[in-house]
Amino acid sequence: MLRSAVKLLDAWFLAAMTVLVIVVFAVLQPTWLSVGTFQLLLADNAPLAIVAAAMTFSIISSNIDLSPGSMVGLVGVIIGLAGGGGRGIVVGILAGLALALVVGTATGLLVSRLGLNAIVVTLATYVWARGLAIGLSHADSVSVGGTLVDFMNHYVAGFTFAVPLLVIAFVVAGYLLSRTRMGRYTYALGGDVTGARRAGVNVTRQTVLIFVFMAVMITVAAVVTVANLGTAQPLAGQGLELDAIVAVVIGGTRLTGGEGSMSRTVIGVLFIAILNSGLTNLGLSDAYFQLWKGVALLSVLAVQVVVRRRVVPALERRESPARIVSAAGTW
Amino acid sequence: MATREATTAPVSVERRSRTLAGKGLRDWLQVVGIVLIAVVLFVIFARTAPGFAKAANLRNILVQSSVLGVVSIGETIVMLLGGIDLSVGAIVLLSSVVTSGLAVNEHVPIVLAILAGLATGAGIGMINGLFSAVVGIEPILVTLATLMVASGLGQVLLHDSWIQVDNGTLVALAENHVVGLPLMVLVMLALYALASAAMVRTGFGRRVYQVGGNARTARLVGIRVARVQVIAFMVAGVCAAVGGILQAGQLGVISQNDAQGMEFDAITAVLIGGLSVASGGVGRMEKTLVGALIVGMIVNYLTIRGVSGTYQQAVLGALILGAVLLDHALRRRGTT
Repeated sequence: MLRSAVKLLDAWFLAAMTVLVIVVFAVLQPTWLSVGTFQLLLADNAPLAIVAAAMTFSIISSNIDLSPGSMVGLVGVIIGLAGGGGRGIVVGILAGLALALVVGTATGLLVSRLGLNAIVVTLATYVWARGLAIGLSHADSVSVGGTLVDFMNHYVAGFTFAVPLLVIAFVVAGYLLSRTRMGRYTYALGGDVTGARRAGVNVTRQTVLIFVFMAVMITVAAVVTVANLGTAQPLAGQGLELDAIVAVVIGGTRLTGGEGSMSRTVIGVLFIAILNSGLTNLGLSDAYFQLWKGVALLSVLAVQVVVRRRVVPALERRESPARIVSAAGTW
Repeated sequence: MATREATTAPVSVERRSRTLAGKGLRDWLQVVGIVLIAVVLFVIFARTAPGFAKAANLRNILVQSSVLGVVSIGETIVMLLGGIDLSVGAIVLLSSVVTSGLAVNEHVPIVLAILAGLATGAGIGMINGLFSAVVGIEPILVTLATLMVASGLGQVLLHDSWIQVDNGTLVALAENHVVGLPLMVLVMLALYALASAAMVRTGFGRRVYQVGGNARTARLVGIRVARVQVIAFMVAGVCAAVGGILQAGQLGVISQNDAQGMEFDAITAVLIGGLSVASGGVGRMEKTLVGALIVGMIVNYLTIRGVSGTYQQAVLGALILGAVLLDHALRRRGTT
C-alpha cells in the first residue's frame, strides 16, 4: 500500500515536471508546441529511447553499462564499412550485430564469471570502441549507400520508420521485464545476487542475456542513428550512455538496482527528449545548452529525492531504522 | 551485491587497518608490483623507440602527465570513498578560463586570479559534495550534471573565442626549471607527497578509508560521513582547478574543448594504480601517481611510434581492461 503510494508519487512527479517543462518552453517559444515538433522529437531521440529501454535492465540488475554511446558509433562504422563495396546493407547490419553480440557476451562473461565491476569493464569499452570507430573510419564519415537511409526516412503519417522501431523496442523490453523469467531474474540479480544464485538462478547466463539484449538494442540504435545522419559517423552517439542512464534514473528507477520499471523509463526518456528539443529550439549556443541542461537535471533530481524522502515520513522510519540511516550518503 | 559486500567485509577491514598503519606487507608488494609494471614498460619502450629514454623526452612525459597527475589526486580520494567524479575535466576548463581570463583580460593580480580559479574548483566540488552526500543523489549523476554546468559556464566565459595566456607567472609554471625539472612537475610531485602523507597521517585521511570501507559502520562509530564526503569532493575540485591553472601555462592558449574527457583519463590512472571503482576503501595515493605516469608514458610512446591519436584511444581502452584483469588476478592470489 505504502510502496504503491510512493511509486505513484514518483511517477506523477516526473509527469508534472514534464508538463512544467512543456509549458515553460511553450511560453518562451509558442511555435515550438506543435505536432511537427513531436514527430521530429521522436525521430531525433529514438536512439536514446532504444538504448534506455535496454539500460533499464542494466540498472535494475546492478550492471550499469557505459559502452552504448561508443558502441553505437562503432557499430555504425562497421555497418558502413562491411556493407560497402557492393556487399549490401544487410551484410553490413549483420556484421555490426555480430560485433555487438561478441562484445556484449564477452562483457557479460567478464562481469559474471570473474566478478569484475560492470562499470569498469564497460568504461574500457567506452574508450576502446570509440578509438576503434575513429581509427577504422580514419576520423571521417562512412557512406552507407542510399537504400537504408531512404527506407528509414520514409514518412508514414508524418513519422519516420524510427518511430515504429522505438515502439517495438519498448513493447518487447516491457514484456521481457514484466512478464518473463528473464525479467524476474533481472530484478533478482540487482536485489541480491548471492540469494539469486542460491535459489538456483544461472547468474552467468542471466547476466550475459542482459548484455546481449543491450547489444541488440545498440545495433538497432546504430541503424537509426545512421539513418538520421545519412552517413555513419565515428563520433555518433557521444554521451548517449549518460543520457540513457539519466533517463532511466530520473524516471524513478533506483541506480542501486533491484527495483524499477519500463513505464518509468518511458516517461524519463520523454522528459529528456523534451528538454533536448526545447533547449535546441531556443537557438541556444552549445555552451548555454549544456549549462541549462545541467541545471535542469540537477534541480529535478534534487527535488525528486527530497520529495521521495518526505513521502515516507514516520511509517518507514519505524519499520526499519537502518534503512533511514543509510538513506543519505551511502552510495 | 549487498550480501557479497557483507561477506567480504571482515577481510577488507583487516587489510585496511594494516593500510592505515602503513605496514601492510602485501600493500607494499602491490605498490612494488605497479612500479615493476611501469619499469618493464619503460624498458620495452626505451628499447623499441629510439629517443624515448632521452632526458628531454622524459621531461616531456613528466610535463604531459602533470596536469592529469594533479587531477587524479582528487579523483583518487573520491573513488576511495566509493564515489566517482565525472566533473573534473570540466572544472579544469572552467578554472583555467577563470584564472587566465582574470589575469590576462582583466589585469587582476595573478595571486588573486589563481585564488579565484581555486575557489571556482572548490565551489563546484562543494556543489558535488552537497548534492551527493547531503541531498543523497548518486555521485555519478550529480557530477554528470555539474560536468554540463561547468563546461557550459567555461564556454560561455570564453565567448566562442580563446584566451592567449601571456601572463608571466602562468607561463613560468610550465617553462621555468628548478633542479632540472619544470615547475609544474615539481608542483605535481609536491602535491602527491602532501596528499600521500595526509591520507596516512591525518584524521581526514583515516576517515576517508573508514567511510570508503563501510559508510554505515563509520557513521555508527560517530564519523560525520557527509562532511567527509563533501570535503573529498571539494578537494577533488581544488585539485582539478590546480590542474587547470597548470594547463593554462602549459598550453599557452585556452580554447573550449580543452580537457574534454579528462575525467575518464583520471579514472584510468586511478584504475591502473589498482583502485577498484565502486568498492572504495582500499588503495594508495602513490599508486595513482604511477598510474598517471604509465598513461603518460604510453601516450608518449605511441606518439613517438607514429600511432595516430585515434588508435591511441583504442590501445588505452584495451589497457584499462588489461589493468582490471591483472588487478583481479593479483587480488584473487592475495585472498586465497
